[in-house]
Amino acid sequence: MTLKEDVSRWWARLKAGPVWITSSLRAWIWLRACDEVGVNTRTFWRPNIENRGRIVLGSRVRLNSHWAPIELVSGPLGVIEIGDGVYINYGSMISAHLLVRIGSDVMIGNYCIVADTEIPGIGEPHGGPSIEPRPVDIGDGVWLAARVTVLPGARIGAGAVIAAGSVVAGDIPPGKVAGGIPARILRAI
Amino acid sequence: MTIRSTWNAARARRWLRACASVGEEPYLAGKPTIDSHGGQLRIGNRFRLVSRPVASHLVAGPGAVLHIGNDVSISYGAAVAALQHVHIGDGTRIGPFVIIMDTNFHGASGDQSIQHDCRPIAIGDGCRIGSRVTIARGVTIGDGAEILAGSVVSSAIPPGVCAAGGRARIIGRAGDLRSRWDGAAAILPDILMASLGLNSPPDLDSSPIPTHLWTEARMKCVLGAIEDRLRVMLDPAAAREIETFADLAATLQDALWECQRHALGPPTASTRPI
Repeated sequence: MTLKEDVSRWWARLKAGPVWITSSLRAWIWLRACDEVGVNTRTFWRPNIENRGRIVLGSRVRLNSHWAPIELVSGPLGVIEIGDGVYINYGSMISAHLLVRIGSDVMIGNYCIVADTEIPGIGEPHGGPSIEPRPVDIGDGVWLAARVTVLPGARIGAGAVIAAGSVVAGDIPPGKVAGGIPARILRAI
Repeated sequence: MTIRSTWNAARARRWLRACASVGEEPYLAGKPTIDSHGGQLRIGNRFRLVSRPVASHLVAGPGAVLHIGNDVSISYGAAVAALQHVHIGDGTRIGPFVIIMDTNFHGASGDQSIQHDCRPIAIGDGCRIGSRVTIARGVTIGDGAEILAGSVVSSAIPPGVCAAGGRARIIGRAGDLRSRWDGAAAILPDILMASLGLNSPPDLDSSPIPTHLWTEARMKCVLGAIEDRLRVMLDPAAAREIETFADLAATLQDALWECQRHALGPPTASTRPI
């Protein structure tokens, strides 16, 4: 990174004002429900976090909840692992009853849903049949565009790009652009 | 000049203060996010922006132009971002949770550095864009086109068509799929009253059409009026079988469906990629 880029980035952050400057402090307050939070993790506006299992955030994670809040939900046995340098845009939901693993440098667009049960979130009727969770694995450097739904059991390879509005079921190989309902490989990057 | 209109004008002035130009009588519900980071937001007359219960945002990047024409209304949760040029034509109506962005903001394969590889978006006049539509960069939508809810538009849409789908394809003409029968049902009693010489608009129920009115000449008159007003032709042979007002309505509905099915064309009709 050149000095010029560095300066312009910091200038943009200064202009962004209190939201950027206080975002680390806010992360410390708003992410207190998480089990582990890495350094330099920032939240912009307030996410909804319901942690009954385990939520681990890496370092340099940025959560943007500006226009619609992000929801991170883990059930009693659920684990959410989010790697380093992940960016999650507003309105997304990540729900784990077993395991949702998100690699490092993943970019998740707005209104995405990543869940390892068919019905995300907590709110099963008492005594009803339990929903079988299947773990979700998203590799490093994956880019989920806006409104992508990742179904239970999906595995997305490193560096894959999922087009807007897709529904991902099954495996997506690394380094491919996939899209559609259900998502199919469109081309290589 | 009522208290309410004064209050609305003051609110609009406050929330639209980042815009380069704002037309007459803007109306804002809720609190949107409107930023021009050195770009230009040009807004036409009678602009309507809803930000309740979810805030909408209009953002222009440095040197970008976000042009919104007259009589545009945008519903809640909409995200419009211009880093180069976004044009929204006159009289376009945009549904809730629509995303219109002329850039991806970043590269692929974990490359999160901000990239301004923009392609401008142009949305024509009088378009109707349904809820949860995503409009990708570089897309041109023609005048009067209709995008159905949930579509992802990634290629050009010609004017006057109706498009839908995960990758939006043409499925018919605009206005065919929505409320054509509703419109017909609303004016059919008036057509019948005028052409049959009744004193009041008849109910479209199972009451029989008086046989002395349902003559060959009157029937021709009714079919002509229906063709004239609703642009659909009924079969005269089928019309002779009609006994009640409900039969007539059902025949008309079938004809409209047939008309629509014809307009849909072969299922392979697709949009031209850019």
